[in-house]
Amino acid sequence: MTITTNFAPQHGEKEFSRRPATSQLETTLTLAAGAALAGIGLWRRGWMGTVLAGGGGYLIYSGIADIRRPYQGRVRVGFTIVKRPQEIYDFLSDAQNWNRFLHGIHLESRGDGRLRLAIGKPGRLDFESRIEVTDRKPGEYIAWASADQMFEHRGVINFKQAPADRGTQISVALEYKALAGPIAHSLASLAGWHPEQVMRESLRRLKQLMEAGEIPTTAGQPVGSRGLSGVTKRVIYREPQTEAAAETRLAGD
Amino acid sequence: MKALCWKGKNKVQVERVDDPSILNPRDAIIRITRTAICGSDLHLYDGYIPTMEPGDVLGHEFMGEVVETGPELKKLKRGDRVVVPFTIACGQCYYCKHDLWSACDNTNPNAWMMEKLYGYSGSGLFGYSHLMGGYAGGQAQFARVPFADVGCIQIPEGLDDEQVLFLSDIFPTGFMAAENCDINAGDVIAVWGCGPVGQFTIRSAFMLGAARVIAIDRFHERLRMARAAGAEILNYAEVDDLIEELKWVTGGRGPDACIDAVGLEAHGSGLAAAYDDYKQKLKLAFDRPTVLRQVIQACRKGGVVSIPGVYGGMLDKIPFGSAFGKGLIFKMGQTHMHRYTAPLLKRIQAGEIDPSFVITHRLSLDEAPDAYRTFRDKKEECIKVVLDPWREAEAA
Repeated sequence: MTITTNFAPQHGEKEFSRRPATSQLETTLTLAAGAALAGIGLWRRGWMGTVLAGGGGYLIYSGIADIRRPYQGRVRVGFTIVKRPQEIYDFLSDAQNWNRFLHGIHLESRGDGRLRLAIGKPGRLDFESRIEVTDRKPGEYIAWASADQMFEHRGVINFKQAPADRGTQISVALEYKALAGPIAHSLASLAGWHPEQVMRESLRRLKQLMEAGEIPTTAGQPVGSRGLSGVTKRVIYREPQTEAAAETRLAGD
Repeated sequence: MKALCWKGKNKVQVERVDDPSILNPRDAIIRITRTAICGSDLHLYDGYIPTMEPGDVLGHEFMGEVVETGPELKKLKRGDRVVVPFTIACGQCYYCKHDLWSACDNTNPNAWMMEKLYGYSGSGLFGYSHLMGGYAGGQAQFARVPFADVGCIQIPEGLDDEQVLFLSDIFPTGFMAAENCDINAGDVIAVWGCGPVGQFTIRSAFMLGAARVIAIDRFHERLRMARAAGAEILNYAEVDDLIEELKWVTGGRGPDACIDAVGLEAHGSGLAAAYDDYKQKLKLAFDRPTVLRQVIQACRKGGVVSIPGVYGGMLDKIPFGSAFGKGLIFKMGQTHMHRYTAPLLKRIQAGEIDPSFVITHRLSLDEAPDAYRTFRDKKEECIKVVLDPWREAEAA
């Protein structure tokens, strides 16, 4: 499958490797068909049933095995920031600014247009990806591509003057082949590591930092005792777990 | 410090929590001198607003004294006496610069959640669910106020806390509801709901030149308070057909503007109200849009429907054909607080209004859990509760 980045297919010449990729639909259909066949087989019994159950079992196995096959996807995210394109381009060109707004990833410059991308917080996850800046035009775009086959991705950041006083439309278009299949992909979404979430929240924080001068937060504010349901909700709402420790006793006790 | 925490449906509780601290450069810490319970807090109490977490500190109407300031704060200093608007705004984004403060782009840490539900996220609010940012509220002894130099309004000497406290929400909210009606000379304005916001809406409508205001409710004490402002009153429980009644008292024209100061927990009568009630109980809907249907039906052709009442989700059986057929204008939304605080403070200083008229209960923070129940059940002729978070503490 050949995929192109709609915004700027001319940037980043490299094609992805020919490793087969899978899709959410493919895995879902395989698992569903497997479960159905196995169910019919077990219900019918006899030699025909055994064959059906065996076939169903194989489909379930291959559906689950899809976890090991890479997953291919693309992401498009856009925000408008009330700053001039050149201001945002300059801010992004300074490596010191990157980790002030990046969300869920950590980026370091290795010089010579090469970068090191780590997923999660530095030191907590070893996973990393080397990146090359493949093309750039000050105030207009920056294109990149991964430099190894572990996690293949490439994309382009575009800057475009918005009408009147609305600032700059900044957009990121990226395509990637993830390490693991659809199930792992869903798990990554829960952890907030889905490439779409990483890009959207990073751009949002860039906007907040550039416009308002700070990124809004509630981490560390006072809170009463959460209980189990409160803690569970914080995971679902992807909120930081590092709130101020709350005393649970009642006032006046 | 002591703070009132949400613990689940129908359950709030005063707990000891950590004092707030400065988390961002433009934060301020306020020592709260007065705080109030808002009608919209009852939506949280009744469990109708999603994404509340047990332990959340409630309250979005508060004022006090600045006791600590972040390093980047320019205008505020320690010792300033301020009222805090319930919407948080950065002051720098497109929306803030265009006077649409409650649509601020940069103050909701959980913007993604609201985007999923509403398409786009509005500003963060104090103490009003994680959808709205999850900020700790002001029914407490202290509060952290982000972007404090954008929001906080400094209060000059000579004004009581009770006179200015409602600049934090209900006075601007009532005023915007009336302003949204684009009132012209001779206009008749009908206001559904004579709770605190309704009371300020009625008075604001007169300030803005309404010829007549018709106040609709079923509680006598609330109707009495509305009549004291000069409104004509209509007890909907005592008339057969509210829409026909409004036609009758307006010479067949219908009100020029209709204001829904009730929102998602409307009480009504008849089959439609029972239908809404069951739908909400079965969790098939967040809202009971009884009043919204009435305002659309009652409004004159080409008139304005103004909605300060809060709605949360998908509404059902809305007579949109009627709205289209009559060419109605709809205006609604969270109040653009920062647009109104300074001009309304001037009106208070000029003696045009003393907002403390609406207060019926003055209590300590420890009494807040009971006060929520009293206010919700409209017992003891309760209209507005103001809390002093230090009263009990100082006596002890």
